[in-house]
Amino acid sequence: MLEPQFESALAHRAAPDTLSISMREISERGMIDLRGLATDKKFMSAVKSVLGFDLPKAPRASTSWGDLKALWLSPDQWLILCTRSKTNSLLAELNAALAKIHSLAVDVSDMRAIIRLEGESVRETLMKGSSLDLISDDYKAGTVRRMRFAEIAALLHVVEENVIDIYVFRSYAEYTWAFLTKAARKGAEVKLFKR
Amino acid sequence: MLVVTCPVCNASGDETDFHYGGQAHVRRPATTDPVNITDEDQRDYLFIRHNPKGLHFERWRCDRGCGKWFHAARDTVTMEFKATYGITELPPAELIKEAKGPWADYFKKRLKEKA
Repeated sequence: MLEPQFESALAHRAAPDTLSISMREISERGMIDLRGLATDKKFMSAVKSVLGFDLPKAPRASTSWGDLKALWLSPDQWLILCTRSKTNSLLAELNAALAKIHSLAVDVSDMRAIIRLEGESVRETLMKGSSLDLISDDYKAGTVRRMRFAEIAALLHVVEENVIDIYVFRSYAEYTWAFLTKAARKGAEVKLFKR
Repeated sequence: MLVVTCPVCNASGDETDFHYGGQAHVRRPATTDPVNITDEDQRDYLFIRHNPKGLHFERWRCDRGCGKWFHAARDTVTMEFKATYGITELPPAELIKEAKGPWADYFKKRLKEKA
């Protein structure tokens, strides 16, 4: 029997050295889509028993613990991030704990492609494709925001001040990569803000 | 361009991050009184909408954000969003007072039902 082979969406792409920020794909990450009511105490404690931490309840917040991260997507939806190889076991544990609770946990590791952007002008670069004020205090480290980016749906996760992960649906990975390599090229920086 | 703030995820964004969902507070007659529906009630429910100059109430969705529907009070002259509030809620009291014409009649009826 032949084994199926996994290849990430941007495996054949390397960032050109003509960019003002650094850009790479993160492929070794597993993702679980978790839905349930934040007001349901049974649900929240069952999830805590598996993850080891409380799901973030505040809008657009995220929580992390070791390899695990939980991103707030909506009042009843979270994205759990883990190491790709551990996705199946984590999902099985979640499903076991949530068996009798109205909820849903699905492996969506292959649904989205993740691009990590690092550098001083990361926010200005992203603002070329978005109408949001990414410079404001609203987007400090840990913030999660689903948004419209370069006309497509994207998920933004501010990891650190100058490190931002952007999640797009896999079929849009190529397009996003092409957009970013143009928007972030050297000499095309937006010099609107003092550093 | 309209700047909207979602009352659910508290995020502000441009009009393009949101989606307009028609007039707010439209009630299906069959939900409240399935037996005595007149043709006029059904016509009004399906086709008749307000078109005020000034304060108007609409449904919006945080389309590219948290995905939830909410209500918004918008001025159709200045395009200013006066308030956004929950999808099951009535507007803030001061805006109900400000409402004119068919909206004033509607809220009067709703508040009477509530009391």
